[in-house]
Amino acid sequence: MLRRTFLGIAAAATIVAGAFSPALAAGKTFYWISHGAPTDPVWTYFLAGAKQWESDTGNKVNTSFHSGDVPSQQEAVRAAISAKADAIVTSSPDPGSLVKVVDEARAAGIPVININTPDPTVKFNAYVGMDLQKAGAAWAQYLVDHKLVKSGDFVWMPVEVPGATYGVQEEQGIASVFKPLNITWEVTDATLDQAEIINRMSDYLTANRAKVKAIIGLGDLVTGSVKRVFDQVGVKAGEIPVVGWGNSQDTTQEVINGYVNAAMWQDPQATSYIGLSMAAMAANGIPPGFNVYVGTLYEKNAAPLYDKIMSQK
Amino acid sequence: MQNRTFLQRFIGASEFGPLVLLIAELAVFTFVNPAFLSALNISNILTFTVELGLIALAMTLLMTAGEFDLSVGSVFGFSAVIMWTLFNAGLMPMGAAFVVALAIALFIGWVNGLFVTRLNIPSFLVTLGMLLVVRGTALYITSGFPQRTWSAEGSVFADILVGEFSIGGFRVYMSVLWFVLFVIITHYILNQTKAGNWIQASGGNAPAARNRGVNVNRTKVLLFMFSAAMAAFAGIISSIRTSAANPNSGTGYELEVIAMVVIGGTVLTGGRGTIIGTVLGIFILRAMRNGIVLIGVPGLAYNIFIGAIILGMMALHSWLERRHNAGT
Repeated sequence: MLRRTFLGIAAAATIVAGAFSPALAAGKTFYWISHGAPTDPVWTYFLAGAKQWESDTGNKVNTSFHSGDVPSQQEAVRAAISAKADAIVTSSPDPGSLVKVVDEARAAGIPVININTPDPTVKFNAYVGMDLQKAGAAWAQYLVDHKLVKSGDFVWMPVEVPGATYGVQEEQGIASVFKPLNITWEVTDATLDQAEIINRMSDYLTANRAKVKAIIGLGDLVTGSVKRVFDQVGVKAGEIPVVGWGNSQDTTQEVINGYVNAAMWQDPQATSYIGLSMAAMAANGIPPGFNVYVGTLYEKNAAPLYDKIMSQK
Repeated sequence: MQNRTFLQRFIGASEFGPLVLLIAELAVFTFVNPAFLSALNISNILTFTVELGLIALAMTLLMTAGEFDLSVGSVFGFSAVIMWTLFNAGLMPMGAAFVVALAIALFIGWVNGLFVTRLNIPSFLVTLGMLLVVRGTALYITSGFPQRTWSAEGSVFADILVGEFSIGGFRVYMSVLWFVLFVIITHYILNQTKAGNWIQASGGNAPAARNRGVNVNRTKVLLFMFSAAMAAFAGIISSIRTSAANPNSGTGYELEVIAMVVIGGTVLTGGRGTIIGTVLGIFILRAMRNGIVLIGVPGLAYNIFIGAIILGMMALHSWLERRHNAGT
């Protein structure tokens, strides 16, 4: 009787441990650590890609968001090192902010793949994502090539988090096109709150409507708010040319309806999926000796395709 | 003689300071950029101001009773998410989903009130904890995805809450009328009813109020429920207007709302509150945010100006208050 009880408890303990311990789960364990906010629509698609990869491969993916909080993200990387992760996939919150923790991971034999925001100062094994400077340059070049701006014009560039890596690199790319043409611009702080974004953008446009010749939305939330801002201020679709990010259905709809001329799709699900695949490859001893660049600037004709992808989330 | 008495009473009122501040602010912004008082800009200011204002009205009553509610921003985002999740999933019509969202908000307020009054935990800590619980729940049930709200277009229910109409070039949302209605109701409650006396007594001297038969605990619990319900109402209105129900909506609103109430003249430690002052405080802060954009401060210097103007206003407010107290 005692023996049967003991065996029963042991069996139950094994089942419980199997269910809850990543160490006993099938496959390897990967850490997917994002500097983004869990409420940023585009990051929900990145997350969906990671979940899809986990489901397709049977590996375990532990995910976390850090909303631009560098100490919190460093702590998460160190936690992954302590947990002896097979590999880490992470984005960069600020240039140089992950140098030390990535060195520690590499020293512990853990590959680290960089996704979404590149940072050449950090010794990542590889990068998967957009080249943000090229994205910025592509927006600026689009406006110039389509004769939507000319020398002496002023371009407004709202951003959710001024100073964050993505906006800084995009602005560098934009500057490379605009500066030689004597086109000026201003970056404004729009915040991450939807109502506040619309409010601040409406205020700015009301004050500067005559001056603004084009708009570049440096983030998804600001680009996805253009229609609501135009409607509030009384600007018609197409009256002011707009380019920017296009990773939300708000923006695909804006492109379809003519509020945004062209938007950049950064393949968020694919970025996570390929990043984790490269991490698995590196964990299995095949070193990735290359980076993978993604991103497409789409116009009205291609917008329904991305709208459909996002409606499937 | 009667006019002089009225003037003296007018100058002696606690709302006089905020009124002077608001007039000065409007004058400066209009002087620098006359478009500040254009119909379009006033319409823009009113749009978002009244949504925050609805929360500030309830917060005024709560702060008069000597308590805070830091969870209002998270309830603002959460309630809209709940309503749209229920509606988009086809579980119930929009009106019923609205009632469920309000009922959940009332429950959140009830829990806040119970923790504060029965367990004697400071409202600052209780509502800070609730902020995290509510925000986390909103994120969890939506997996971070914003809820689709496009189907609100053309709905009678949505029109009642936030439909728009024009009056002589001014675009006015229904939310402005809701705000006016709640200003009248809360002002009446605070100044003309027995409940108003209970609220002020609860915040001024709770033990003395209890000795005089005021049910302080019940008063505070009801105010926490009212605060949460108003945050939910404002959040739902905002979600329909902005066509966005994000689980992170309302982040940081709690501090802005408390600032509005305090600038308006409600005492931070409780016992004295003013709805008219809060209305002035609401417009002081929101007009300031709008005005500094209109006068053309550099985009990335926005927060420097906001912070500096708030400090300047508080200093002026303090000076006016001291003069006012010295004169009475």
